[in-house]
Amino acid sequence: MAIIEVKNLVKTYKIIEKEEGLIGYFKNLVKPKYKEFTAVNNVNFSIEKGELVGYIGENGAGKSTTIKMLTGLLTPTSGNVIVNGIIPNQKRIENNKNIGAVFGQKTQLWWDLPVIESFRLIKKMYKIPENEYRKNLKKFTELLDLEELLEKQVKNLSLGQKMRCEIAATFLHDPKIVYLDEPTIGLDVFVKEKIRKFIKDINREKKTTVILTTHDLKDIEDVCDRIILLDKGQIIYDGEKQKFKDTYGRYVIAELIVNNIKDNIILNNAEILEQNDNKLKIKFSHDETTIVKIMDEISKFCNIEDIHMKEAELEDILKEIYKGVHTNVKNNDATSKNAI
Amino acid sequence: MQKVIYNISLYLSFLKISLKEILIYRIDCIVGIFSQLIVQLVSLVFMFVVFQNTENIAGWNFQQILLLFGITRISIGISGYCFDGLYDIGPKYIKSGEFDKILLRPVHPLISIIGNSREFVSIADFILGLVLTIVMLVQLAIPVTILLIIKILFFSIVGALIIGAINTIFSISSFWTYRSNEVIWSFYRMYTFTEYPITIYNKFIRILITIILPFAFVAYYPTMAYLGLNTYIIYLSPVVAVVLWFVAVKLWNLALNKYRSTGN
Repeated sequence: MAIIEVKNLVKTYKIIEKEEGLIGYFKNLVKPKYKEFTAVNNVNFSIEKGELVGYIGENGAGKSTTIKMLTGLLTPTSGNVIVNGIIPNQKRIENNKNIGAVFGQKTQLWWDLPVIESFRLIKKMYKIPENEYRKNLKKFTELLDLEELLEKQVKNLSLGQKMRCEIAATFLHDPKIVYLDEPTIGLDVFVKEKIRKFIKDINREKKTTVILTTHDLKDIEDVCDRIILLDKGQIIYDGEKQKFKDTYGRYVIAELIVNNIKDNIILNNAEILEQNDNKLKIKFSHDETTIVKIMDEISKFCNIEDIHMKEAELEDILKEIYKGVHTNVKNNDATSKNAI
Repeated sequence: MQKVIYNISLYLSFLKISLKEILIYRIDCIVGIFSQLIVQLVSLVFMFVVFQNTENIAGWNFQQILLLFGITRISIGISGYCFDGLYDIGPKYIKSGEFDKILLRPVHPLISIIGNSREFVSIADFILGLVLTIVMLVQLAIPVTILLIIKILFFSIVGALIIGAINTIFSISSFWTYRSNEVIWSFYRMYTFTEYPITIYNKFIRILITIILPFAFVAYYPTMAYLGLNTYIIYLSPVVAVVLWFVAVKLWNLALNKYRSTGN
């Protein structure tokens, strides 16, 4: 059985309709007008134990609302959520024993005290056996390089140091499922890499299921095998990350350094993304043409000095999807679901 | 029962960790305790003034009134420290979204919240109360035995629990307003009614503070017992405390569920 099962999940908020001007605000104070807003609209998915899932979408797509329902912080308007055999919003405390969560930059550590004090209280809260606690603490200290941090006050740590401790605190009780909401926001590249590696290592060793929401798609690229893409409260893609890239990212972006541009460049099977005096950025698909043909075409208009090519990355593809280039994504939803 | 003991020990762990946080700020701590002492001493001076104009209040003489004041301070000192966290729910946790963090712990949120107390300065009330109580017992020629001290401490803790339960009930307002600390405070302050014999009040206030918000059980009835005026009604206060807590937790859970279904 899947560790997370979500069926026909809907969450509707009632929000107060703001009226213009100060008088409008006073009117609201006396007799507020409500309007309904659907944040999550009929979402279905199931996640198996040990999966690394990227839950992505633009701001306001409904990611956080879904995570809040999975953790039992919010009660669904309709639909079912079953996490590890439990309905989280009915047995929230029971469910909390199995999960760990990081929400952006909100810390679960005690601000004024050395990090190790927080770890000790977490040990007590989750009833972590002494030997498990020691083992995990030792391992996490190594993996996340915490040696020097444990005795320091949390408020004196840098953002990156704090987040490393935060991640360690989240995994300390060997949770079956971990929800990470923007765990790498504002961090430098080295800390990001350390955290990504940590997540992958723990997943490999303990089969921890990880749901990751982030705007840094490098996180997803590096950590996740599967992505669930959300748009306006609905899932528009659910499936393997590689398959997603193969389907929508079958194109190459090439940057050329050129000179002596003679004329307006017009290419048959490639799209010009950017052009200035000596730089040209183009996009083409392997299905339609080859790089040799393109170079041939371009050289009619100018001299090519250098060329740099890259495969489409998740970020490029998502940008296009948000812009509405791939209108067929929704239709493929059903087939991609069958694939997993 | 095991669960209750585990929860109490967890609560004490939370209290311990927040006490460590307070003690780091040494100066804050000392200044806080002294200002609290001054506030209480001012109330005492006021009582002196009152008793320069009258021999007794509702048949209670100056020493008896001061004993009642002392007993009240002991309970207020304990509850002020042990249940202070309730004031933070609206303005601190819910407003900032930090409440989610508490809801994600494998612990009932009330334990996290009331365990996170900042009001260590209440120890000033406790000490002042204890000193005043002992001095007045001596002046009233009541023998200060170990048993009596234990009895006073026990019923003061029960009194603190009654205040805690009442505050918990009013902390439910946190789910609707960020200014819930003011709601709790305004009802909490009614305990001052019981710094005087309740017979001086009219029927409405008497019913209010014995039945609706039973602050009379915090210090008034216990003091009656220590003075030998009414020795039985004091044994009702543990029952009152248990019933109030039962009601408070049930209502609190109901409100929490409502809050989680509407979203924030």
